[in-house]
Amino acid sequence: MNPTILLFTLLMLSAMGFYLGRQKSYAVGNKNGGVQHLHSRPTYYGSLTALWCAIPALIVFFFWLFFESSIITNLVISNLPDPIRELPPDRLNLVVNDIKNLVSGNIVSGKIDPGMKAAADHYQSLSTVSHASLSVIVIVIAIAGMMLVQRIISPDLRARNHVERVIQFILIACSTIAIFTTIGIVLSVLYEAIRFFKVIPLTEFVTGLDWSPQMAIRADQVGSSGAFGSVPVFMGTILISAIAMCVAVPIGLMSAIYLSEYAGREFRNVVKPLLEILAGIPTVVYGFFAALIVAPMIRDTGGVFGLDVSSESALAAGLVMGIMIIPFISSLSDDVINAVPMSLREGAYGLGSTKSETIRQVIIPAALPGIVGGVLLAVSRAIGETMIVVMAAGMAANLTVNPLNTVTTVTVQIVTLLVGDQEFDSPKTLAAFALGLMLFIVTLILNIIALVVVRKYREQYE
Amino acid sequence: MKKRLICAAMVVTALTFGGSAMADSARDYISIVGSSTVYPFATVVAEQLGKTTDYKTPKIESTGSGGGFKLFCAGVGVQHPDITNASRRMKSSECKMCGENGVKDIVEVKVGYDGIVIGNSNKVEPMKLTRRDLFLALAKQVPNPDGSDSLVDNPYKTWKDVNPQLPAIKIEVLGPPPTSGTRDAFVELAMEAGAKNFGFIKDMKKADKKKYKAVCHTIREDGAYIEAGENDNLIVQKLDANPDAFGIFGFSFLDQNTDKIQGSFVDGVQPTFEGIADGSYPVSRPLFFYVKKAHADVIPGMKAYLQEFSSEKAWGEDGYLSEKGMIPMPTDERAKFSGDIKAMKTLSCDDL
Amino acid sequence: MSDNLTSSIDRHSNTDIVQKGLSKRYNAERRFKFYGIAAICASLMFLGVLFISIASNGYGALFQTHILLSVSFDSDILGGEDLKRANYQGVIKNSLLKMFPEVKSRREKKSLYSLVSSGAAFKIRNILIENPDFVGQTMDVWVPADDDTDMLIKGYMKRDVPESERRLNNRQIEWIESLEKEGRVEKKFNLAFFTAGDSREPELAGIWGATCGSFFTMIITLFLSFPIGVASALYLEEFAPKNRWTDIIEVNINNLAAVPSIVFGLLGLAVFLNFFGMPRSAPLVGGLVLTLMTLPTIIIASRAALKSVPPSIREAALGVGASKMQTVIHHVLPLAMPGMLTGTIIGMAQALGETAPLLMIGMVAFIVDIPGGITDPSTVLPVQIFLWADSPERGFLERTSAAIMVLLTFLVLMNALAVMLRKKFEKRW
Repeated sequence: MNPTILLFTLLMLSAMGFYLGRQKSYAVGNKNGGVQHLHSRPTYYGSLTALWCAIPALIVFFFWLFFESSIITNLVISNLPDPIRELPPDRLNLVVNDIKNLVSGNIVSGKIDPGMKAAADHYQSLSTVSHASLSVIVIVIAIAGMMLVQRIISPDLRARNHVERVIQFILIACSTIAIFTTIGIVLSVLYEAIRFFKVIPLTEFVTGLDWSPQMAIRADQVGSSGAFGSVPVFMGTILISAIAMCVAVPIGLMSAIYLSEYAGREFRNVVKPLLEILAGIPTVVYGFFAALIVAPMIRDTGGVFGLDVSSESALAAGLVMGIMIIPFISSLSDDVINAVPMSLREGAYGLGSTKSETIRQVIIPAALPGIVGGVLLAVSRAIGETMIVVMAAGMAANLTVNPLNTVTTVTVQIVTLLVGDQEFDSPKTLAAFALGLMLFIVTLILNIIALVVVRKYREQYE
Repeated sequence: MKKRLICAAMVVTALTFGGSAMADSARDYISIVGSSTVYPFATVVAEQLGKTTDYKTPKIESTGSGGGFKLFCAGVGVQHPDITNASRRMKSSECKMCGENGVKDIVEVKVGYDGIVIGNSNKVEPMKLTRRDLFLALAKQVPNPDGSDSLVDNPYKTWKDVNPQLPAIKIEVLGPPPTSGTRDAFVELAMEAGAKNFGFIKDMKKADKKKYKAVCHTIREDGAYIEAGENDNLIVQKLDANPDAFGIFGFSFLDQNTDKIQGSFVDGVQPTFEGIADGSYPVSRPLFFYVKKAHADVIPGMKAYLQEFSSEKAWGEDGYLSEKGMIPMPTDERAKFSGDIKAMKTLSCDDL
Repeated sequence: MSDNLTSSIDRHSNTDIVQKGLSKRYNAERRFKFYGIAAICASLMFLGVLFISIASNGYGALFQTHILLSVSFDSDILGGEDLKRANYQGVIKNSLLKMFPEVKSRREKKSLYSLVSSGAAFKIRNILIENPDFVGQTMDVWVPADDDTDMLIKGYMKRDVPESERRLNNRQIEWIESLEKEGRVEKKFNLAFFTAGDSREPELAGIWGATCGSFFTMIITLFLSFPIGVASALYLEEFAPKNRWTDIIEVNINNLAAVPSIVFGLLGLAVFLNFFGMPRSAPLVGGLVLTLMTLPTIIIASRAALKSVPPSIREAALGVGASKMQTVIHHVLPLAMPGMLTGTIIGMAQALGETAPLLMIGMVAFIVDIPGGITDPSTVLPVQIFLWADSPERGFLERTSAAIMVLLTFLVLMNALAVMLRKKFEKRW
């Protein structure tokens, strides 16, 4: 039986377990004077049966498949002729690939010699045996689990508590994934970042005002200054994000307020999804839009007023980025504003306040945590955005707060350092990891501040 | 009930995917990585292979030359790529890294040339530049304009300052960032050659090689040279919008956009197909790919791919690669490298 | 008595104050409402401008110029019995030469041949393989024109500029014009664009391979990130004790949202490819990386949604004897669902348009064959857009825009589903 069908069978079995368990609990309940005399509701008995049917069998299933391939491969290799077996492991891996290609009926590299054919047949027969035994074992375990629960169903069985404990365990497991991701990210940049800081002192990196990562990466190449001061890069990020937020926060928040408080249901149902499309347009598109339409427009407008505008200004990138993150603010704020209880509005109207006063003085404070959540997400997205800045704002690291100048951002530098012609032990490439780590720490600090601030001003109504 | 149905459907799909993910699969296609400059040419060959034979179309990743070598040299085995493209020769350090990881037999193949163009909008007259002008306009430090043998920070603001015969336009050049291989080639072929016009810089080469390289290869950072990223189409469109700006990009982009942009003369030669092919246009660089010999016999289609790439209809004078903008090698070079492929002649790290 | 008097005076003056302020307040009200409308109009205008510019560029790619050739399947030219490897290029060249017998020199022949796409040979090959008895017959076949011809017919290439400024020379334009006069040139619906994989010839390039890749990747991302995101939000918001640890987790999740997407690519490279040994360029790995990337967005949105469910709901449920778990799952979760779905929509939209993390795990690649499963090498729509935008051929310009249109359609369909669900759950109380 092939694994996909087996999984499907397992699913069917556990569905059956659910119904059987529920049936059984009804029967038991009726015997003891009605369902209300059971400890839990019948559904919980059903769920418990289904869980016991599925979980142990699934664990066995995945472990089996995880080890199956390497065990079979080793068995096949041990039967290969000696000259092939004595190849170094990496060459052997290529031969095995050829055998597997033969097994799955793919096109193979050369002529099929009888030895290979025999190995392929061997592989095939082993995997058939393995799948067959897996099917038997898994189904037996599933049925055994089902029977076991069936047997112990009684009015005293605390089925609900069991099921809830399992669910809670799953919830906890899910919430730790975020922690593991963080650990993974820190670990995957930390090692390289430390190597970078061995070459470039941390103080220079944190306080240096010059960013010019042009250190030679090859013996035959000489770069320019090779300065690694990250201040201008971070300033650029802050500048562009600030411009973006100046566009996105007012427009997003006002849109959210209008949609949830003034607009009719139909209008809102149409406009809200439309705005959400803005978040999904690929950033390459925004990049082209910023570089070819917005940037020249700003330069020409600046020219009219006698301002010297760089053709790759931070303003262009920031404006377009602001458009992109409008939905982060508008949609999330709209949801939380909508969730503010009607009684609060009615209370405010009852005191004679106008709609706008209600919104400003009652609804916004009540919805503040959610709104701040949305704004934080938007800021995060702005900090992490790359393509728009690459295309519209360039890569020159100027230390400036003038939005008409060219600036660069942390993410742009990370991407260009990582995807260009690189060598992995040069500070130039390692700088990308250091920047990543640095950005991680900076945003961490910002988030802690935000948490404290939100906690202070948050108001819980009702 | 409906909800439950939806849930069940979701679980089934998830499980089906889970199941198929566990199924063990083998690689039956060629895996190629490497330079984004060779990418447009390698992909044409790959597509031709996929369409005219029973082999699957090779998978080609655009990772940059350095990134390509890193993946290529990680080891022998199906999980590692079979071929890497490069817009420069392999370095001996990279070759050594390959050797340490068991990638000992590497076949080097040169495929052709790529011209690097200094172009601008065709709404204005083409510029007649020399490499000396390019050096003076773009280097961070240039010889003192008063004629003494000393270096000063680049004072030139307009092309006229550099060379009185050029128009008085502000120097504004859009070019690749320092991480790009195109930039390396440009500084080496245009700037360094331009710097050699100055005797004292040329003398520096013998006295202090490091300083010499630093002078020749360092591009100014005061805004006259704008690092514009690797997207050459974007550079072309920006040039079209701004007739005063110049851009540095690959020849194939000029070839496709002759209605919008033109290539400047360099040392009296315009970047045309013929000009680059016969070597009179000075700024062009060779393109390579490197093959793992250990994979040649065991990955399906490897031989056929190499044969297709080295056939006259691909890399010949009238081959389909030349239509895509690659400049073919002279006949004798083509013969040499197709011989190398047939014999699978491996490279020794000492030759690099 | 005096008490009564003062209070009536007070009441009087209060009403006065209210009356006086009223018009001002109404004005403020109108202004506020106007700001709202203006904000929405501004965002919709941006959307409109983007859409119009994309659609006007990409519309052309829906049609492809075809040329009517009378092809004779001459067995002499085909050469050999094996129909799979016959010389179809020769057949095409022969029928072009028949139409323009005056072409003699090698150079002219070459420029004549280049009017027709190299895909023409594959087209007649497929015809012949399906009907092997056509050998020896002559028939009229519409074959795709080369991208340069296509650009000329669509008017992107000007006919009146000097010869050196266009890719077709004067002779070629003459030939095309005479073909046009005979009615042998026609723009047909570009079916290949929706059914083919990537190609280096604009006229043969299609979006189907990338669409399949995006579909597989998104399925994985959706099935992992939505349940995991909602589950973590539920735990953190409803069950977890409020202490320093949960604060750390909260800050940590907010922080993950700000990690640049390429760093998730680095993580994927280190964990999924190097540690678990999963295949490069596979939608499976892409989906996993994008899951990690979208999780923070979904968790944050879901937590905000859970926070906004009024405590009274919980208290009522607990009051009638529901367990904590029952309260949350039966009462709180459905009310928070619209907000959670919004987070999912935005997160998925972001994942659908993301290129940078895929760069590190090998999905920025030239892949012609249509992926059939989650472990086949494949690419995704935004990567395809990125690669086409970087191609020198002019024909890819309109195809890039058309690919963006396909991506947006994909996005709209995905959103429509979530919006329908959201509408069902949404409630005001």
